[in-house]
Amino acid sequence: MTTDAVPADGDPRRLLADVRALAHRVRVDQRMTWAALLVLGVMTLLAIPFDWFGMRVDCGPDGGCTFARRGMLYYWPPAMVLAYGTITVCYLRAARARGLGARVLPYAITGAVTTLVFPAAWLAVHLYFQSHPYPDGPLPYWYFVLDRLVMPWGMVGVALLVLAWLERNRALALFTVGYLVLVLLVLPMNFGFGPPHFGIRAGMAVPQLIAGIVLLLGAFGFARAGRRR
Amino acid sequence: MSAVTDTPGPDADHPVLGLDDVVHQRVRLGILTIAHEARRVEFGYLRTQLDLTAGNLSKHLSVLEAAGLIDVEKGYEGRRARTWITLTPAGTTALAEEINRLKLLIARVETTG
Repeated sequence: MTTDAVPADGDPRRLLADVRALAHRVRVDQRMTWAALLVLGVMTLLAIPFDWFGMRVDCGPDGGCTFARRGMLYYWPPAMVLAYGTITVCYLRAARARGLGARVLPYAITGAVTTLVFPAAWLAVHLYFQSHPYPDGPLPYWYFVLDRLVMPWGMVGVALLVLAWLERNRALALFTVGYLVLVLLVLPMNFGFGPPHFGIRAGMAVPQLIAGIVLLLGAFGFARAGRRR
Repeated sequence: MSAVTDTPGPDADHPVLGLDDVVHQRVRLGILTIAHEARRVEFGYLRTQLDLTAGNLSKHLSVLEAAGLIDVEKGYEGRRARTWITLTPAGTTALAEEINRLKLLIARVETTG
């Protein structure tokens, strides 16, 4: 951009290229991707003790155990509200300090909606199995993937995808796809790593620890990339 | 004097004819673009990004404000005076139309060239 007035017959290609470059620069200046990932990573790690101590484990004489992750249910809804509130404030403050408005509201709304998905899904499954018997055979794989998707870690990924779209941030979109593959297809977020290496509580804690560390590493990477820019 | 016919010539709907002189100017187009992307933008940010002097930027802002394309809001943050610029609905429409016309122009040049 220059101070020169451009005549009406200015090169349209150059004008359009300038428009795109400016729009991209504004979007980059509005980003606080590292802060969002940092808050979500910290929230994920803080969930571990709640899950550990809030879990009810009943083991029968035959060695079989059942567990109920009550701690998760009490921790995540308020934690997610707090997390998305913090992220929104961070974005607004940073953008204002740079002399810009922020486009974070749709992300906060998505966060608020996804906050409701986890307890609603838990309640629906709980009510369903009160009046229906558990199936005898193994559950289909898609059920586990869907179960992981509606859990807080899956919902964090969905909200991050919305953020990537809002920011037109390809790097965040790629990171989020990788994160979602990890928490939906690789890590046993819903039933944990089993024996003999892990007990029930530790088996549940390890996938959360990995997901939290991945989010924190993402925060570190985006912060570093932002500083280099 | 030539005879006037009812049939429009081949360039009657040429996209360049619909270009708005207020918007079709590099700096003002830049202001509208930034204000659109940012939702709200501060004077200092515009000055830095567009590499303008304060006086020059003020002149362009006055043109856009007089055309009803932006709103200018002046205030203080602590002791620091700050001027915030937002796009009006007319500004959003004008920007969209300008970009559309630029794309049409490029397409036209590419098909005829």
